[in-house]
Amino acid sequence: MRITDLEKTIGTFHMEVDDLYIEPEKIHGIVGPNGCGKTVFLKIAAGILPPDTGTVDYDGLSPRDITMMFQRPYLMHTTVYENLIYPLKIRGIRPDEEEIDRMLSRVGLKEQKRQYARSLSSGERQKLSFLRAVIFKPRMIMVDETLSNLDSESEELFAGMIGEIQKVRPVTWLIVNHQMDHICRLCDEMHYMEKGRFVKR
Amino acid sequence: MWEWLKSIVSDTGIMSAVKVTFIMAVSSTAISSVLGILFGLLLERFSFPGKRIVVRINRTLMGVPPVVAGLVVYLLIMRRGPLGPLSLLFTIKGMVIAQVLIITPIISGMIYSYARKAAPSIRVFAATMGADRWQTARLIIRELRKEIYFCMVTGFGRSISEVGAVMLVGGNIKGRTRTMTTTISLLKSQGIFTEGVALGIVLLVMAFILQWICDLLQKEGEEDENY
Amino acid sequence: MKKKLLAVFLVAVMSFSLATCGEKKEEKKEETKETTEEKKEEKAEDKGKLMMATTTSTEDTGLLDYLKPVFKEDTGWDLEWSAVGTGEALKMGENGDVDVVLVHAKASEEEFIANGFGVERFPVMYNDFVVVGPKEPVAKTDDINTVFTQIINDQLPFVSRGDDSGTDKKEKKIWESLSLDPAADPNYIESGQGMGATITMADEQKAYCLTDRGTWLKQSKDATLESELEIICEGDKNLLNQYGVIAVSPDKYPEVNNEGANDFIEWICSDKIQKLIGEYGTDEYGQALFTPNAGTDS
Repeated sequence: MRITDLEKTIGTFHMEVDDLYIEPEKIHGIVGPNGCGKTVFLKIAAGILPPDTGTVDYDGLSPRDITMMFQRPYLMHTTVYENLIYPLKIRGIRPDEEEIDRMLSRVGLKEQKRQYARSLSSGERQKLSFLRAVIFKPRMIMVDETLSNLDSESEELFAGMIGEIQKVRPVTWLIVNHQMDHICRLCDEMHYMEKGRFVKR
Repeated sequence: MWEWLKSIVSDTGIMSAVKVTFIMAVSSTAISSVLGILFGLLLERFSFPGKRIVVRINRTLMGVPPVVAGLVVYLLIMRRGPLGPLSLLFTIKGMVIAQVLIITPIISGMIYSYARKAAPSIRVFAATMGADRWQTARLIIRELRKEIYFCMVTGFGRSISEVGAVMLVGGNIKGRTRTMTTTISLLKSQGIFTEGVALGIVLLVMAFILQWICDLLQKEGEEDENY
Repeated sequence: MKKKLLAVFLVAVMSFSLATCGEKKEEKKEETKETTEEKKEEKAEDKGKLMMATTTSTEDTGLLDYLKPVFKEDTGWDLEWSAVGTGEALKMGENGDVDVVLVHAKASEEEFIANGFGVERFPVMYNDFVVVGPKEPVAKTDDINTVFTQIINDQLPFVSRGDDSGTDKKEKKIWESLSLDPAADPNYIESGQGMGATITMADEQKAYCLTDRGTWLKQSKDATLESELEIICEGDKNLLNQYGVIAVSPDKYPEVNNEGANDFIEWICSDKIQKLIGEYGTDEYGQALFTPNAGTDS
């Protein structure tokens, strides 16, 4: 993916990205202080927010191949299971029940499968959101702070799962964090942001 | 007490008033819901010049005194009015038109407020999931279904409790357009209080049931937020 | 939080403005009171309020508004009234909610007294009823029998008030005295509303209805849309409408204003007021709306 001559102004905030190349099938970390424009950049890259000027070239990827995980994920007013299979449903894919059960037990949500999704704790919500993002095998996944501030156990879990995915079917990851932490060890490449621009470090 | 209620309810005039009330309330709620929900959602979805004014007009109409709506409909459908040839005056159809005029803005206004709060994040979510336009629209409706039921129950409640507009447009004709509320008003004017009170109790019970349904819907809504 | 503050602010502004409104009104009232007191030193002193229950016809025709200031000037009582159907008016008397009743349903009035709720009935005046309706197919006549029989036989549309009011009772009595059953006419409907609304409905439905002349004259003169109805029947003896006034019994309800009620009865039956009643309406409608007949045994 290549981003060129991007500009975006929201209120007093101004973002400029002259040229950024995101190498496919690698894990990219984006780090910067709060308010430096990471989330805005991620939304533009994910195609949710239109830029004022500039282009985002997905190199043949369609919007359906790209997904994004938020720090506070949106959960539908239904069960954990229905939330999980929603991306499959809209693509007309029949869910593989065994696979789903395996994924749910892996993150420890098997018991809550038929529970109302909004009764989950925030940690469980992040796990569900993670599964929902990977279940339909997208080619590119944007992660907005979801993987920061985790307890060490969950961190291990997510790191392990990301590693497995990369082994089987490599995905381009764009992971935003406001600080360098353990999750960054996974990254193949790091990008630093300051005041709406990418900087070298 | 029970015998007394039963003897009153078995009175044919009262039964017919209950029937008229229900036919009127159900049809006007159904029509207003379709129009109001559609309008409220479209209003949230699209921006256009003058939208703020449309929203403001909608809010104003939410508080329009029902008799005013009744008068407007009366003038439209009376024999010498523009829709006179349709012979809608003093019929249930005419009453439904007035009710739709009263309830639709209430439903659309409520739906608009709910959608404005919830729809943007649903839209972002749908985009991250790769949903197309129709799938997104369907998801918004599904996610707002409790609010939609709530609006419909509110509309129904307004409909059964309406007096002024129904009296004007329906004419309170015995056995044809006489509703529970206009019966109460007539009974009171005759100085007959017992039957009026009995009908009032029936309406109160219905209001209680509606209130209870609303409560259930809202409680489930609240549970969503405890994380 | 912001919203809450805003709401509190709005409520505060509203209550403040309401409060100032109230103050202004009170100030005005006091001013006018002072001036009227200065002017009317020779007139009867202010005695308080007299509450009356009456039928809609006395209010709708404007008679009460016409008489009220004269009553105040002559006796010092401030007449207030609730204009409802005869049935409800008598009920208000039975409940002791009013001091005096002015209604027109002789049989019910006599029952009211027989049951101990009223002191004595005094005839005051009468007006008459007319049948109004479309020109066709009923021909204009002075015989109520012909008109009502044709309506039933030809199943013509007829709007009845059906609200147990004096007019409604009168109508039912006429059907009964002619041995006719209005239920046999599928186009006979009950509006359950006041006289004005019922006339409007008859006009809309091209139907016939029985109304007191006063309401009919006022309605046909004042309505925005000219009525397409005409008087089809008038002058029949059956169509006379006698008003009676009764003080609510102080034995039953000691708290009622019996002094004011007696003053009112004496006053309205006096020659001066009887003459005023006989003149009312001639300026506006070209004919009197009520014929005074106090002192007779009607």
